Amino acid sequence: MATTTATITLSSTDLLSDELALSTTATLTQAANSTGLTGTTGLGRKKLASGHATYTLFDGDDYTADKAHKLYLKNTSATASEYFEIIVNSEQIGRLYAGDWAFFPWMANASTNDIKIDPSANDMILEYMLLTDE
Amino acid sequence: MATTTAAVTLTSDLMSTNMSVSASTTCMKAGTTADGLDQMEYGYVDIASGTAYDIIGNTPTASKASKLYVKNHSTDETYYVSVVLDAQAVGKLYGGDWMFIPADFHDANADIEITATGGTNKICYALFHEGTTLVAS
Repeated sequence: MATTTATITLSSTDLLSDELALSTTATLTQAANSTGLTGTTGLGRKKLASGHATYTLFDGDDYTADKAHKLYLKNTSATASEYFEIIVNSEQIGRLYAGDWAFFPWMANASTNDIKIDPSANDMILEYMLLTDE
Repeated sequence: MATTTAAVTLTSDLMSTNMSVSASTTCMKAGTTADGLDQMEYGYVDIASGTAYDIIGNTPTASKASKLYVKNHSTDETYYVSVVLDAQAVGKLYGGDWMFIPADFHDANADIEITATGGTNKICYALFHEGTTLVAS
């Protein structure tokens, strides 16, 4: 069985009067069992132009619905004002500003659960990877 | 300026070559490199099965660069919380899983709602933001 882990570290020495140091690791498994995730798109990279309504990065119809897929996204831009709007179906999740990354579960519930990206400027580069459950 | 760093490392032996992806970002206010996110909420809650719960009570200022961390501390692999944003299902966070997303709370309906399944789920969360609309007493 493949073993895939995701570790996050959140740290700050000056946000609070006490130091913030949070680190946790998840071993990524299939929905409701302890078997590791079995697939991945690998790490990908896309250059996207602004002005397009939205780009569909992953189509919910293409993956098994209602599973424990995980998605990693990163905005590689170095221009602080540039962001990607992350959208699920038609709902805005949040803005991924320059250098920011995101990691979250995805249900892939048919065509109403597409992952879409809307860049704020031309030729922005998105890094992404989908880890799939079946 | 507060400096808060969020780092991620993904490792896997899924492929014929071991994979390791790392990224780190300093959590800044929207559109700037001069000023970091300087406010946070942090909590740990038990959520009974079947209960839908807005994980953030005070809505942060809309369309900013807020960051939300959520971890399901449940140890039973069949337990999960469904993550929903304005009635749009996003994903299921199973026991042991965590997530980290930008959250722009773009309108009053854009709350982040979680619903527990399987049993009482233990959820830890942290929101880094640049201001909230406080609820008047």
